[in-house]
Amino acid sequence: MYTPDFDYYAPQTVQEVCSLLTQFGSKAKILSGGTDLMVKLKHGTIDYEVLISLKELNELKGITYQEGKGVVVGARTTHNDLVNSDILNEKYLSISEAAHHMAGNQIRNIGTIGGNIVNAVPSADLPPIFIALGAIVTILGPEGERTVPLEDFFTGPGKTVLAQNEIVTYITIPDQPTTGSNYIKFGLRRSGALAVVGVASSVTMEGNIIKDARIALGAVAPVPMRAKNAEAALIGKEYTDELLEQAGVAASQECSPISDIRGSAEYRRDMVRVFTKRSLKASITKGHSGEHLETEHGK
Amino acid sequence: MSENTIHNNDYAVIGKSVPRIDGREKVTGAAKYTGDLKFPNMLYGKILTSPHAHARILSIDTSEAEKLAGVKAVITHKDVPSLKYGISPARWDENIFCIDKVRFVGDKVAAVACIDEETCYKALKLIKVEYEVLPAVLDPLTAMDEGQPLVHEEYERNINTEIHQEFGDMENAFKNAHHIRKDRFVGQRTYQSPIEPHSAISMWQDGKLTIYSSTQSPHYFQYYIAREFGMKMGDVRILKTYVGGGFGGKLEPTGLEFAGAVLAKNTGRPVKMFYDRAEMFAHNRGRHAQYMEITSAVDKDGKILGCHTNFIMDGGAYTSLGIASAYYAGALLPLTYEFDNYKFDMFRVYTNLPACGAQRGHGAPQPKYAFECHLDEIARDLNIDPLEIRIRNARRPNTVTPNDFGINSCEIKSCLERAGAMSGWAEKKGKLPKGRGIGVATGSFVSGAGYPIYRTNLPHASAMIKVHEDGTAATLYTGAVDIGQGSDTVLSQMAAEAMGFVYEQMKIVAADTETTPHDFGAYASRQTLMSGAAVKQAGEEVKRQLLDMAASMLQRPVYDLDVKAGEIFSISDSSVSLSFSDAAREFFVRRGPLVGKGSYTPPKLGGKFKGAAVGTSPAYSFCAQVSEVQIDEETGVIDVLDVWDVHDCGMVINPGLLHGQVHGALFMGLGESIWEQVLFDDKGKIVNANLAEYRLPTALDMPKVHSGLIDSYEPAGPWGVKEVGEGSTNPTMGCFANAIYDAMGVRINSLPLTYEKVWRALKEKREKEQAQK
Amino acid sequence: MQAIVDKEGIKRYLISLTVNGDTYTVVVKANTMLVNVLREELNLTGTKKGCETGDCGSCTVIMDGKPVNSCIILALEADGKEITTIEGVAQNGVLDKLQESFLNQTAVQCGYCTPGMILSAKALLTRNPNPTEHEIREAIAGNLCRCTGYVNIVKAIKEAAGQPVDEH
Repeated sequence: MYTPDFDYYAPQTVQEVCSLLTQFGSKAKILSGGTDLMVKLKHGTIDYEVLISLKELNELKGITYQEGKGVVVGARTTHNDLVNSDILNEKYLSISEAAHHMAGNQIRNIGTIGGNIVNAVPSADLPPIFIALGAIVTILGPEGERTVPLEDFFTGPGKTVLAQNEIVTYITIPDQPTTGSNYIKFGLRRSGALAVVGVASSVTMEGNIIKDARIALGAVAPVPMRAKNAEAALIGKEYTDELLEQAGVAASQECSPISDIRGSAEYRRDMVRVFTKRSLKASITKGHSGEHLETEHGK
Repeated sequence: MSENTIHNNDYAVIGKSVPRIDGREKVTGAAKYTGDLKFPNMLYGKILTSPHAHARILSIDTSEAEKLAGVKAVITHKDVPSLKYGISPARWDENIFCIDKVRFVGDKVAAVACIDEETCYKALKLIKVEYEVLPAVLDPLTAMDEGQPLVHEEYERNINTEIHQEFGDMENAFKNAHHIRKDRFVGQRTYQSPIEPHSAISMWQDGKLTIYSSTQSPHYFQYYIAREFGMKMGDVRILKTYVGGGFGGKLEPTGLEFAGAVLAKNTGRPVKMFYDRAEMFAHNRGRHAQYMEITSAVDKDGKILGCHTNFIMDGGAYTSLGIASAYYAGALLPLTYEFDNYKFDMFRVYTNLPACGAQRGHGAPQPKYAFECHLDEIARDLNIDPLEIRIRNARRPNTVTPNDFGINSCEIKSCLERAGAMSGWAEKKGKLPKGRGIGVATGSFVSGAGYPIYRTNLPHASAMIKVHEDGTAATLYTGAVDIGQGSDTVLSQMAAEAMGFVYEQMKIVAADTETTPHDFGAYASRQTLMSGAAVKQAGEEVKRQLLDMAASMLQRPVYDLDVKAGEIFSISDSSVSLSFSDAAREFFVRRGPLVGKGSYTPPKLGGKFKGAAVGTSPAYSFCAQVSEVQIDEETGVIDVLDVWDVHDCGMVINPGLLHGQVHGALFMGLGESIWEQVLFDDKGKIVNANLAEYRLPTALDMPKVHSGLIDSYEPAGPWGVKEVGEGSTNPTMGCFANAIYDAMGVRINSLPLTYEKVWRALKEKREKEQAQK
Repeated sequence: MQAIVDKEGIKRYLISLTVNGDTYTVVVKANTMLVNVLREELNLTGTKKGCETGDCGSCTVIMDGKPVNSCIILALEADGKEITTIEGVAQNGVLDKLQESFLNQTAVQCGYCTPGMILSAKALLTRNPNPTEHEIREAIAGNLCRCTGYVNIVKAIKEAAGQPVDEH
């Protein structure tokens, strides 16, 4: 295969990235892990004259906990960094598990959270769980920093609120009283499959009463979406399996999936029902655990 | 399972899991595949393909491409022979480059040779082809209708091949039946998807052509390339390098060899051509999609009285190996179960889609899937256990099929019984918890085709062995082709056994039309039996000469001597001994090179009707599979838990490699059962021509595999061997389909059995049940 | 990074890679993939190309301790990194225990996925010397094999980890 020619820059500071973006405009694209970008360049579905590599920007790597702020994840943090993070394993195993079920091991070693979010692929695995946990995106531009809730970040397939000369630097998961969170990826193979449906939830319980719930769906709308009707059906109610089923039905009604080679809209809608129910149950009963479809081999 | 069969205890070398002869090279990365080779002054070549499924070529302008720096040659149909070719001699319908029109998305239009790969892609973009787009034939079921466009003007109603065979007395069988059942099934288009994409390097010297290729058959490449260019076969040399899997897709010469040869000639430089992964889907000639109707008549015990199969096959734009595929689809069906009355109707139709050919199990796995599902339905109709109905119908040894295939060894009944015991069938069938199911199916396959692809009286296999002058090593020269299955290892074991030598000192030169003797190559599971027979003969010739020399050295009668594992000994006097190497060295000193040769031609096989040759074989393997699955009834997700395969493959030369073949065949069948399918858009373009969306199962998807063997001895094979590599793909789709049916209680009549199809079938079943309440 | 521009205006960069313990300086274009540097410049053809889009894992190399797909990594992005290819797994002609176990368990057929498979397994055992079967399968799930159904590959990795292996 063939990768078209481009100019390559590897700036030393984030500010330099912004000024290169300003200089080259729409001809330039940021190269983070490149696991998606390189494939699209090879397939010829996109073409850029300039790639701006983030390889020198080590400050964008890593996961830290900042008192009063929450868990801060640098945009260049790889999927396997999420999987192996002690902080996440302790606080939000659901994020580690969501990362764990992405692609294959080699891709997880290179692909970054920033790339996964900025690509704005509707089936991306990380946005739903981050949205369910109320994550905030920190964006740097020539005018300085701004923050946007991740849930408002996406504007369409491949489209975000990022201006041409802006870069995502961090994702922050604010401290929260949630009881549990969870992401279920439903793919057609156990590795190396895109999500046909992705459902994330986070729930705050007070005794048996659902005090708060956030549900985020992937691959069933032009952007990762909150299932607000489903949430409304839950909040303030006593937890029962029947209630979760009702929430599942509500979520399946408010999403807007399309039919493609991975599944029909009808199938996706029903899978939203099933996995919303299952994800909620895991969030309520198992805390911030990972709960996924896979059954252990050799049982 | 035990590695031993009752027959291998007498042998020193065969029957043992010796390590692969090429293993060290492969685990260290030293093994060179065609794409790894470089030659001085070598150019890179690439083919320009059609973006349309069906279009007239109005003009081709290569001038801009020719001007690009680094482009050394640009060729179109004007620069190559116009002689049509194809691997099936009955229908030569392909040109090196399209002349008047293109017939599928990916059809070959032009080619370039450049100083590097990048320049090739840039040059291809500069070739301007003007097309007049024509209406395309994309649906095989309507391809034969009046008024449809013709893919090839000379083939009316787009019929590529038509088969109508009838054996026995169908009318009587159906008249006397206790029960008659008709079912329809659909099999999908899949691809071999070897992990190594095909590549070829062509070069000329003194008017002679040499091609290194990832090929399954240097012989057929040599024959068809010589024919295309009007050359003597002796002036064309084909060498196989290490090949990264074939599975049928690398059997016939491709555009890479034909176009590469011309580019190399025109530039006077070696040219390396290669397909990328997407191109492999257009050019690798995958498994035909088949539309299958089966009607069977049975008696009250479920004994099959007669069967009528009525199939349509989507051939794609060219014949490829499709005539054989079409015949195989029906011909191999009566192997596993005994019935006397059989009717087979088939239309293979042309469409404007990539051509289909041979994939592991060639033509047979989908009909077998259909038949095994059909048989389960019959069992249910008659309230007979699915394992039991198969045992009742199981073929016996020394029988003849209705289409005149002679069966020697056949342990299918034992295979079924053993698979039933291993899997705990009796404890599980009908007693599993909700959502869990168990299924059974059988398979069989040829151990080599009774006749070659084109008409010739050449032996099917031949071999030479040269013992080195000091007697400490021997080299086997064989035209047989190791594409990963391990024939180099197995044949070296056979050579050592036949000579009385040791495997560790064997060397092998294989699959080079110049240095090795003729062999038809790796297809139709032929090499262990056919190439093995030639190797055995060559080894025995060495042994005879060696013992003759030993007799003279030891002053003993030759009939009193034998040789095993490198030691010559006296049968009557255990104190007498002489090493193989000492005798061999002495032979060289006194009589010159110690060389043995052998060849193999199968006996005349089969009946006299049209198409009687296809499916004939000296021997047939048999197997039974049982699988257990768990279904998530809400989502349709299938969890494949366990699969048990029990094989009757005759004497086993290398148990490790043999079980490896079973694993791989099962793996491919499993992929085709649930995950693998090529999808097209409404313009005839493949939408998932990549390994992300054409989903081969990963290590996480593969179930636990239990592979067992039945002791068996095949009189037609050397040491009693027969095939294993393709037979295990035959039952797999039917086996999983039956297990999935058992788990969900409703039948899905098309492959693959995707999660969504399972979900939909269960939903419809629930809706129906609710409506009935 | 040092860059030079040729007469046609094409920019080339001087990069440095440590491959199997040896440091090489190579000249690459911006669009050159790591796999092509290894195969074409360093003649380390044990690193294979199966799909060139990160789907099959036959181009797997270990970069700074982690298995990655060299077909979708720019050579420029690998500048300064330490890389192990299959040619660097055996030491002084002595096979690694994984290479031995792949031979013992008949885990090799056509051999095309084998280099990538061994490197994925090598990275796993370095990080986790006693993995569960599920962890083994996860570690190689990004490496497609069309010949073996992974059955004997999983056994070989177990053997290399010193675990008992069932037959067939």
